[in-house]
Amino acid sequence: MSHFVELLVNGLSLGCIDALIALGFVVVFKATRVVNFAYGSLLLLGAYVVGRYHDRIGFGPAVILAVAVTAGMAALIGVVLLRRVRLADHGTLAILTLGLDIVLATELTRRIGTDLLTTGDPWGAEVVTIGSVHIPQTRIAAAIVAVTVVGAFLAALKFTDWGVALRASAERPATATLMGIRLSRVAAGAWVLAGTLAAVAGLFFTAFPSPGVGGTVGQVALGAAVPAAVLGGLDSTTGALVGGLLVGVTATFAAGYQDQLAFLGRGFGGVAPYVVMLLVLLARPSGLFGSREVTRV
Amino acid sequence: MSQTSATRAAPAEPAIPTSGEPLLRVRDLHVSYAGALRALRGVSVDVPPGGVVAVLGANGAGKSTLLRAISGTLRFSGGRVVDGSVDFDGVRLDVMDPAAVVRSGVVQVPEGRQVFEDLTVDENLRAGGLAGPPRARRAARDRVLELFPLLRERAHSRAGLLSGGEQQMLAIARALMATPRVLLLDEPSLGLAPRMVERVADVIGEIHRSGTAVVLVEQNAAMALRLAGTAYVLEVGRVALHGPAARLAGRDEVRERYLGVGRGPAPQTAPGPARAERAPGSREGAPETLVAEGLSVRFGGVAALSEVSLTVAPGSVHALIGPNGAGKSTCLNVLTGIYRATAGGARYGDVELSGLRPHQIARLGIGRTFQNLALSASATVADNLLLGRHRLSRAGFLTAGLRTPGARRERAAQERRVAEIADLLELREVLGRVVAGLPYGVRKRVELARALCAEPTLLLLDEPVAGMTTEESTRLAATVARIRADLGISILLVEHDMAFVMGIADEVTVLDFGRRIARGSPAEVQRDPDVIRAYLGATGEAVP
Repeated sequence: MSHFVELLVNGLSLGCIDALIALGFVVVFKATRVVNFAYGSLLLLGAYVVGRYHDRIGFGPAVILAVAVTAGMAALIGVVLLRRVRLADHGTLAILTLGLDIVLATELTRRIGTDLLTTGDPWGAEVVTIGSVHIPQTRIAAAIVAVTVVGAFLAALKFTDWGVALRASAERPATATLMGIRLSRVAAGAWVLAGTLAAVAGLFFTAFPSPGVGGTVGQVALGAAVPAAVLGGLDSTTGALVGGLLVGVTATFAAGYQDQLAFLGRGFGGVAPYVVMLLVLLARPSGLFGSREVTRV
Repeated sequence: MSQTSATRAAPAEPAIPTSGEPLLRVRDLHVSYAGALRALRGVSVDVPPGGVVAVLGANGAGKSTLLRAISGTLRFSGGRVVDGSVDFDGVRLDVMDPAAVVRSGVVQVPEGRQVFEDLTVDENLRAGGLAGPPRARRAARDRVLELFPLLRERAHSRAGLLSGGEQQMLAIARALMATPRVLLLDEPSLGLAPRMVERVADVIGEIHRSGTAVVLVEQNAAMALRLAGTAYVLEVGRVALHGPAARLAGRDEVRERYLGVGRGPAPQTAPGPARAERAPGSREGAPETLVAEGLSVRFGGVAALSEVSLTVAPGSVHALIGPNGAGKSTCLNVLTGIYRATAGGARYGDVELSGLRPHQIARLGIGRTFQNLALSASATVADNLLLGRHRLSRAGFLTAGLRTPGARRERAAQERRVAEIADLLELREVLGRVVAGLPYGVRKRVELARALCAEPTLLLLDEPVAGMTTEESTRLAATVARIRADLGISILLVEHDMAFVMGIADEVTVLDFGRRIARGSPAEVQRDPDVIRAYLGATGEAVP
């Protein structure tokens, strides 16, 4: 039983990180209808900046720098590159982000080289024990930060002008322009936000118990974000949160019970979120909270 | 809204003198979509300060395009201003982006309300005020809620849960949050119950009295002519008529456009000597009688169709007409199984249609066309027509893929039949062309041909001449008569262009607000006072 509780708690804390990642993925899709495959590399970029500079400027400033650099890069992708080809269809733009992802990930992998970059976070490898449940400190910090960030995001979405504009233009872009809402500004805001979320998530994604910042981090993160976002419904922020938690818990349980699940082969933990995603999509083709396509005849 | 009765009685003299410089001036505007179709060809419209200008015309006449050109939202539908200008109070609107147009004081209420359904009423209003400075919003909100007390009560409910009429109110209120000097309204009465149409009319009167100019695009000519000071009638992208609204309402040309009065009957073709030879697999069978009894459809709280009954005799042409939002397309969608009837039912011959899926109904020999064209745009005309014959082809995936002799023979026979149908609709020359590049009028004929390719015994046509020029529509009337004569099938025709159906229909059923208000021969219906009122409003009655 204690094993189960420990897995659940760890799963939920991992799920918080996954939810952050999925949220950044969803917010761009919501605002622009572009599936942003470059998101994994943005996350790697954030983790890389923290890993490279925390020695020199300290952990706190490194995080701030990482957020600035990643948000800047996201804005650059969103505003400069994608705007130029705004009239292209969304599938084309998704492929373009896939290309950008490869370029960015290759360059970052080259820069990391053979170094093993650690995030240098103050929580280190400490493990807190409550009763018989062991949780790494970083995961507790991740959960607290994630809840704070997500709470702030949801409040902004609900109460600020930007939030109202984002939700309005996500639902009916053409009508939103009739209110004087500038879609390009709303989209730019979404990209900056996605970059910020990527940097924060990247930090926790590469902190203990993960081994550190490596070139594959981006793909691994995207591998968590895609099922989380899709099963939640690509255009729903609530869906991203629920999806993230579900993916975190599923992956943790599949890994924790892998001895019992040995007949499915090694590494089922990586596949399990996709199995859940497929099952959800079979029952609800637009995800748990996604808006359904409606066509008028 | 205490002045309701006064508003209705007064023939809408603008409160503010309309002399002097127009506030909004559209000059010689040309608009094209996707570089090909000319939707506007030299339209000029003047909107005086504080005046109400009605823009009337059939579907596809260019009314909505005109509003899109003013509000800068053409690009969302692939259109652009080719020539001409839109001036507002000394600035050029046609070179601005939509957000700048809103900020300069010209705000559009889109067609079909388009409220943000996932947002609350309050958030919808907030979205409407985003263009203005934050400190002006509170005052704007108070003003708007005074005009729409209902929205105050519903402030925290989701806009998607409001009724159609309430959503229309919200859409207007949302636009007023930007404190416009010119309000553009696109079909505000579309699909609303009569009581709600009155409310909308009252609200437009109030807005007008507060000094805001209104451009009102409407198919409900009765309402628009009552409210407006001046009116423009568009026809295929040009201004066909314009002048003081009260005068236009009594003009013969307007009566003719909306009622088909005085237009000669379309050429009636004598029944053909022999039916065209049928291709293999075509359905052997004569048309049956279609009987619909007490059909009712409700969407949420809105009754789209209430107890409508009609009978289409075998081999006859039956027209279902009525103003926009009368429930015509809904009726067609029920008959083809796309919507479920809330009450009532329909039979084709001995077969009960209610409960059948659309493909099962198609298999009974009931074919249809769609108002918004359901063609594959990137395929050729010939391929679209062959696709229409899918129901009749026997060759399966494997035999067709292997090109067995049988499959090849069948394909050749299908192609022969497609060519025959193309001849019937004068499409022979365009068979090899891709649909996307064809003019709208031709695409409408392709849509009709595609439906015929399934060899229906009953053909349902949804607004076949919407958006066509007068010549095209006259030609199509002759074609429909020929189809009936050559193929001997029954046709149920949905149209709001009354003139079109007059020459070709044997029987006419008139719907208004979901109810049948008249039935009979075209001539009887044309004289029916209820029908005249539905199309032209009370103003039409004065003229004999």
